Amino acid sequence: MKEKIFGVLQRVGRSFMLPIAILPVAGLLLGLGSSLTNATTIQTYGLESILGDGTILNALFTIMSKAGSVIFDNLPIIFAVGVAIGMAKKEKEVAALSAMIAFLVMNITMNAILQINGEILSNGEIAEHVLEGTVTSVLGIQTLQMGVFGGIIVGLGVAALHNRFHKIVLPNALSFFGGSRFVPIISTIVYLFVGILMYFVWPFVQNGIYALGGLVTGTGYAGTLIFGIIKRALIPFGLHHVFYLPFWQTAVGGTMEIGGQIVQGGQNIFFAQLASPDTVKFSADATRYFSGEFIFMIFGLPGAALAMYQCAKPEKKKQAGGLLLSAALTCMLTGITEPIEFSFLFVAPILFVVQVILAGSAYMIAHILDIAVGLTFSGGFIDLFIFGILQGNEKTSWLYIIPAGIVYFILYYTIFKFLIKKLNLKTPGREDDDAEVKLYTKADYKAKQTRDGKTEANHLLDERSAIIVKGLGGRNNISDVDCCATRLRCTVYDSSLVNEGILKQTGPSGVIKKGKGVQVIYGPSVTVIKSNLEDYLAHSTEADDEIYTQDNIIEETANENTVTEVNIKEESKKEIKNLHTISTAITGQVASITETPDEAFAEKMMGDGYVVFPTEGVVYAPEDSTVNFVFPSKHAIGLTTEDGFEYLIHVGVDTVKLEGQGFEVFVKDGDFVKKGSKLMTFDIQYIKENAKSDACIVAFTSLEEGQEVQMNVTSTVNALDEVATIVSN
Amino acid sequence: MKKFEYTIKDAVGIHARPAGLLVKEAKKYESKIVIEKGEKKAEATKLMAIMAMGVKCNDTVTVTVEGSDEDVAVGQMEAFFNENL
Repeated sequence: MKEKIFGVLQRVGRSFMLPIAILPVAGLLLGLGSSLTNATTIQTYGLESILGDGTILNALFTIMSKAGSVIFDNLPIIFAVGVAIGMAKKEKEVAALSAMIAFLVMNITMNAILQINGEILSNGEIAEHVLEGTVTSVLGIQTLQMGVFGGIIVGLGVAALHNRFHKIVLPNALSFFGGSRFVPIISTIVYLFVGILMYFVWPFVQNGIYALGGLVTGTGYAGTLIFGIIKRALIPFGLHHVFYLPFWQTAVGGTMEIGGQIVQGGQNIFFAQLASPDTVKFSADATRYFSGEFIFMIFGLPGAALAMYQCAKPEKKKQAGGLLLSAALTCMLTGITEPIEFSFLFVAPILFVVQVILAGSAYMIAHILDIAVGLTFSGGFIDLFIFGILQGNEKTSWLYIIPAGIVYFILYYTIFKFLIKKLNLKTPGREDDDAEVKLYTKADYKAKQTRDGKTEANHLLDERSAIIVKGLGGRNNISDVDCCATRLRCTVYDSSLVNEGILKQTGPSGVIKKGKGVQVIYGPSVTVIKSNLEDYLAHSTEADDEIYTQDNIIEETANENTVTEVNIKEESKKEIKNLHTISTAITGQVASITETPDEAFAEKMMGDGYVVFPTEGVVYAPEDSTVNFVFPSKHAIGLTTEDGFEYLIHVGVDTVKLEGQGFEVFVKDGDFVKKGSKLMTFDIQYIKENAKSDACIVAFTSLEEGQEVQMNVTSTVNALDEVATIVSN
Repeated sequence: MKKFEYTIKDAVGIHARPAGLLVKEAKKYESKIVIEKGEKKAEATKLMAIMAMGVKCNDTVTVTVEGSDEDVAVGQMEAFFNENL
């Protein structure tokens, strides 16, 4: 159960990455634009002739500032659509459209009720008795202020509806509205009711969030410390996005009135203050959720990197130095900490505990020193420059970051060095040589890359993808592939097939396996690795996996690779054998078993096979078979083909609970049945109404390693039509 | 050889889903794991055989574990039954 929750949360965290990715750009536009159009700045530096009103540059920077602003102002719908895309398993574009529609519907519904109940007057003004800040304008619709929560509720909900319904089969007369077209329809209806519900529920949540925000604000420096520690500790799980976002973006992180507008969330307050010409000093109570990051990202962690470099074995210094230097630079410039953190997290968790405590305290120190430097994404030098240095020390106290940073640099450096030496921790460059049995080390991989040169570049990209595929337990084990800033995030069907040793050959700084989620941390280049992997999965076959991974070994002995490769390719392809042709037992829409609306079956827990969304409630013997058993509750029959393949016909999902109701079976244990004879009839309507789904699953339960069911047809078929093949490779 | 007895608590007995889980669990161990109900017997790694036993709620089954890792396996299997069945 825990693992399942982790899997879902991991997906949620991952889905936030797309909308979050826009923030650095929006922040850059807003930051540069508003700094350089700020009347006070212009006056202070005497730049009226260049940047003053009416100049071309002023117009340009005003446009930049507005372009940045519009993104921050519309984050709710950006999150709604972005999260829906991230969470949808397939046909993501349909989920995106549906999320947009649902978002509009939900907000206009709340608007309509607000008008009906007189909270919004007919002239568009808000009635006086309404609590200030609870009603806002979203895309021109006056509605309850839900912030990005509203967007996330829509995104997650629509994605859930989408994943559930995008394959729905409607009765013939309505078939036009079936499948993916059904998703916007159901989303509209559901979110109409969500809007009504929210009208009644949200005011309570609003009051609760305000109270919670007050509580956190009330805890002062200790609260900041707790926030910092929790946020840093969540990094290894990739769950930090879920945690910090409310503090950055919603009333949980505090509220403030700026220029007559109520603004919620630490980051939003900073940017509202940035845009406001009246700001004298940014609020450190708002920026306490991130200002401390500059201290340990620009100064602290590089100190840790230096300690690790100095502790590396002399013969490995050069190699460790390259890794640590690039990781430290990434961290200092962009504030992406994963490359450094993961270089020690897995080999020496104690150091991570140190990092969490030090970094957490940095948030508090920044709060105490009244440092108020904003950031868009993370605390690297780029953000410090735009939102600290450019804004001036009076407004931000950014100069305090330097002494605090130096102290942290020394703290990180000495503590890391002491612990590494004392406990003999195996940080980069300190590994025991004989400890690892690797087919292929990272160094080997790099050496090979240079040896083979550019002509082989594509081939090598595929090779890495192939190794990843193999490490994940083969292409059939991969449910989906995605990435965030630094990690390749995959979901697999069977986590026991994942081989971390193989994954480590591709040179990541770490591999995390938790339940069905696998995260491989590569650093910022992960987007390329992900695209390559996706391309590779789309344009190659299982046979290629073998070739590319086999190649590693073959090339060690022979240099003539091009010729041998072609030969192997042909040979491998021949090795795929068709073992058995499968005909469907039921009339309806047929699909791979992975499409079953039930996880246990979809993950092939009962074996590979196919699923039929039935249009006729009859099960026929798909071929001559022996009946092994009829389950007592009649919904499942086990059979064996003449050539010895065992298969289970399971009618409906969770139909065991119907206790035989709606089923009639015509065979009994031990019967021999001829192809086409009637095994069972079932009441589709009754099952639909009383069980989770009417999907009929046929699973081949006795397949051996390397055998699988390959779908030849995925459309509407008649019973006894040939639909798939059991193959072995 | 180790064994334990267990009375099924799951209202619907060992049907497809728990059987699938059971097979997956049993495959983790080297030991041969056999489930018996009265005269019927099935190896815990054979999904079809387990389902064919038609074990219902309140049926008592005997689980026998034999092999190199039987000490660990028997404990884990008992925990699995308690949790899932």
